[in-house]
Amino acid sequence: MPPPNTPEEGVPAAVSSPPARARRSARNASISSVAATIGSETQGICVGSVGDLSSRTRPCVLPINYQELRYESEVDKSLECPICRTPFSVPITTKPCGHTFCSVCLLRAHQMRPVCPIDRRPLDIDRDFCKARVIHDQLDRLRVKCPSQGCDYVCPRELLAVHYERYCEGTPVPCPDNSCDLWIARHDATPDKGCLHKYTPCQYCSKQVMKAALEEHYDRECSGNTVKCAECDVDVVQHRMESHVVNDCPSTVVSCKWSSYGCGKKAPRRDIWAHEKKPCVYQAIGRLVKDREEDRLIISELRARLSTVEGRLRMSEKEKTERKERKRRQASSNVDNTENTIPAFVPDLNLSNSPRAAASYNNGTWDSPEDYMLAQFERMETQMEDLRKNIHELDGLHSMRLLNDTMRLNEQIAELGSKVGVIGMHTTWLMNVQRQSRGQQRAVGGVGSPLGAFASSSGGSGATSGATAGGVSDTLRNAPDNEGGRYYSSNMPPRRNSDGRGENPPRL
Amino acid sequence: MASQKRIAKEFADCTNNAPAGMSIALANDSDVHKWHVTLDGPAESVYSGGKFGLVVTLPPEYPFKAPVVTFATRIYHPNVTNDNVGSICLGLLKPENWKPASKLLGVLEAVRLLLVEPQPDDPLESRIADEYRRDRAEFDKNARAYVQRYAKGLVKFDGTNVGPDAGAAGGSGKRSTG
Repeated sequence: MPPPNTPEEGVPAAVSSPPARARRSARNASISSVAATIGSETQGICVGSVGDLSSRTRPCVLPINYQELRYESEVDKSLECPICRTPFSVPITTKPCGHTFCSVCLLRAHQMRPVCPIDRRPLDIDRDFCKARVIHDQLDRLRVKCPSQGCDYVCPRELLAVHYERYCEGTPVPCPDNSCDLWIARHDATPDKGCLHKYTPCQYCSKQVMKAALEEHYDRECSGNTVKCAECDVDVVQHRMESHVVNDCPSTVVSCKWSSYGCGKKAPRRDIWAHEKKPCVYQAIGRLVKDREEDRLIISELRARLSTVEGRLRMSEKEKTERKERKRRQASSNVDNTENTIPAFVPDLNLSNSPRAAASYNNGTWDSPEDYMLAQFERMETQMEDLRKNIHELDGLHSMRLLNDTMRLNEQIAELGSKVGVIGMHTTWLMNVQRQSRGQQRAVGGVGSPLGAFASSSGGSGATSGATAGGVSDTLRNAPDNEGGRYYSSNMPPRRNSDGRGENPPRL
Repeated sequence: MASQKRIAKEFADCTNNAPAGMSIALANDSDVHKWHVTLDGPAESVYSGGKFGLVVTLPPEYPFKAPVVTFATRIYHPNVTNDNVGSICLGLLKPENWKPASKLLGVLEAVRLLLVEPQPDDPLESRIADEYRRDRAEFDKNARAYVQRYAKGLVKFDGTNVGPDAGAAGGSGKRSTG
């Protein structure tokens, strides 16, 4: 197949101006890229580059031409491309008008004129096409015949590429001779056969024939190669004579089909045919013997199967008894465990000890993995239940302990709080005393420092109160006298009242 | 070639349900690109009674390029050149109008309709078109004379029944590009 989408084709390139030509070649590039993407996505490596065989490196097999396929199943008319009139190869649909074509056909038509080939609506190569996936799926289900010569394989279309590229012996592959760029069927492409595209003279007529086509030439064209069979007077291709004599010729002497069962008749094939047709006496025996042989085969096969089944049965019996034994032992050990440790917790852990469990399964204690898994699961469940209970208990214990501890702490905190309150009251009382004494001093005539008065009045109150008094006296010294007095008179009395402890200073 | 398959299908279509009065055959069996069509003059037209040969040539680029349809038999018609080429002016086949999805059955049907109803507004032979518009009786007479002279008897596609270029009534007038 020649490259269909070459830029030289179609609109005469000679008359187009250089810019127009450049534009067109750019468009061609984008078209081929679209075709390539569509092809590679939908039909593997085979389609999409049908036209580019010569220009690139050769693919490993001749790409399938999907338009040439023979369909074995009935193809609906609506699945045919309106341009090539064959079932769509890679269907694409135009977006504005919804018409579907093979991508190859549509792109080629688009190169001729950038409009829809049905309703002439202008189409843009980049925007106006989309894949027709549903149609593609429908097409993939159609049954097609393998395109290789001599191959009768029929399969759904989607599987064809795999058969054709990997398995089919008739698939055209590159000729083993590197200098030859023709294709040759895979079964003929062996290095020892060499290039089969070289011409050789026919041995019967003088015609030059390609080696690969020699067989066909003998069968169809060559006039000098048929000879009459000396025995049966039939025209036979000369180089097929041998097989004719062995397999077909009615004059060849052969023995009866039932000869291995005792029939000793030997005659020309045509007589043997008649002999076999009007049943040979050995035919019945032959059939019987044949049947008996088959029966014997079946019987021996069945016997072998029976013995294996029996063996397996014995094995499983043995395992069952072993398992029972082990269960009993296990039960007794469980009782020991329950006596020694916390009930219902440790024994379960013992059972689910995974290496042991796995070992027990491997030893065949369980009939099937399902049983084993189920048992394991149940055990896990009970264990989970126990764990849950334990957790609950622990939780309760913890919360009780926490409560006890915190209660004690709370009491202590409350006590401390009350003590702090008492200390506070004492300080305020001391302040008041100090203020009163200062007022007295002012009334007397402002003789003596307030600090001296304060110190004298609180002399016996210990180290703590002395330090507090020092701090307070600092503030008092910095502030003017009047303000200091107002501060205490406005702030302190209400707080003392809210405490509900009356005007008198509390005692430590 | 993919187009071979399409042409084969088109040929089967055309032979199986050929338009009225048409018979279709390949020019030679090995080449599907050249068809010989025999068309009986439609009964409702002035060409009734005549047998016309049509040659349909499909270019190698078919269906991306329009087929070429010519009359092998000479015919007196405004849309067919009055010479031994017999080119037809058919809107469907003009390069700017051709759609790859068009079917040949439709093309043949269009040719038949052109005989029933000539298109003097888009003529190849402007003189005949003028005559068709102004003096219908004269046109009918001339057309019938052509039928009697060229379109009777066996249709030949080799150009022998096209007659000499300068026929008595067929002095081709001014040609427009239909």
